[in-house]
Amino acid sequence: MFTQFFGSYLLNHKIISADNLKVAMEKKDSTRVKLGVLAINAGYMTAKQVDAVHRKQQTVDKRIGDIAVEMGYLTEAQVEELLSSQKTGCLLLGQALVDMGCLTNEEFEQVLSDYKKENNLTDKDFTADNNEKTASVISAFYNIEGEYAMYCSEYINILFKNLIRFVGDDFTPLANAELKSSDTVVKQNIAGDFSALTAISAGDEAAIVFASRYSEEELTENDAYTKDVISEFLNLSNGLYTVNISNSTGKELSLKPQEHITAAELTAAEAKLTLRIPVEFSFGVVIFTLAVL
Amino acid sequence: MATEISKAKVLICDDSMMIRKKMKALLSDYGITELYEATNGREAVEKFVEVTPDITFMDIVMPEMTGVEALRMIKTSAPNAKIIMATSIGTEGNLSEAIKYGASDFLQKPVDEEQLRKLLDNYFKEA
Repeated sequence: MFTQFFGSYLLNHKIISADNLKVAMEKKDSTRVKLGVLAINAGYMTAKQVDAVHRKQQTVDKRIGDIAVEMGYLTEAQVEELLSSQKTGCLLLGQALVDMGCLTNEEFEQVLSDYKKENNLTDKDFTADNNEKTASVISAFYNIEGEYAMYCSEYINILFKNLIRFVGDDFTPLANAELKSSDTVVKQNIAGDFSALTAISAGDEAAIVFASRYSEEELTENDAYTKDVISEFLNLSNGLYTVNISNSTGKELSLKPQEHITAAELTAAEAKLTLRIPVEFSFGVVIFTLAVL
Repeated sequence: MATEISKAKVLICDDSMMIRKKMKALLSDYGITELYEATNGREAVEKFVEVTPDITFMDIVMPEMTGVEALRMIKTSAPNAKIIMATSIGTEGNLSEAIKYGASDFLQKPVDEEQLRKLLDNYFKEA
């Protein structure tokens, strides 16, 4: 999930454009992370050294790893370790941006180090799913604190995991987005120790592609079936959330049946705290809402 | 109870059109043709009485009447009914309540084909 927040960081700091980020998000799955990016992430080589190795490679017919060892930048054990390490999303995204020419190795080194510093992450966090760190990245991004912090950050954590698993990982959390009066909106209430209104809203285009991906069907209209599919995604994600809360805290939450409402009704809903969670997919923006009642 | 899986009568109770469609497709792969649907808890009870299915798949979060209430009502009049709770909200509380009212099994959503196969194999070995 760091990938999605890393994308958001690049966008918010105006390091890359939204269009380039969308392309890179789509490209990353077919991208191979090169040794240079891995070495930069691990802190074994600087971007300057990586560039020097790449220049050298243009004149000799040798593998990057061998050249880096010859030039004294890496040991053979380090090459081995880097090549066998997990190639996670952040690095794939970074590599895709470097390949596209949106970032130089040096810029990538800088931005990766700034991002890690800002979020208190280590290179190891980028290669393993660390729940505690994920929660703190989420809390910082959405400014979540206070009484309901755990429930809220866990909600977003589970939601994003489900998006990645059932819809796709090519999305970026946005800092804000406006609900439109024409948006399709489905809501579901959570009741119990933590009472909340949850919702998904999206314009026609985004609704159709979102539902097509989740249902694994080719939908062409934002009709009753498409709305039903979106509604079922909300129910599934909320269901898995209640299971998670029940397992981790022993608290039982229940779910009410989903309802279709208007964007105006969603905007007018009174709550102690309302979190809008817009995410930009390559096909459009989908806005999730978590309002503590 | 039908002894062959393909002869079984199955009732699918879920408010989601998508889930009913997917369940029907999965069950059709077993040669099951007698498939019935209900879209809420109340309809589930009515449909059960009408078709007396061999197996019922029951969602929990549904409008009008929850799946657990429907389960309780069905089991009161048909104690041998085989009802499988198929839900994403498989919390300990929900499961123990469903077991208390006589649910036969539990299927976690999203439905995994392998899990469904094992479950059906069980019933038709028993029969």
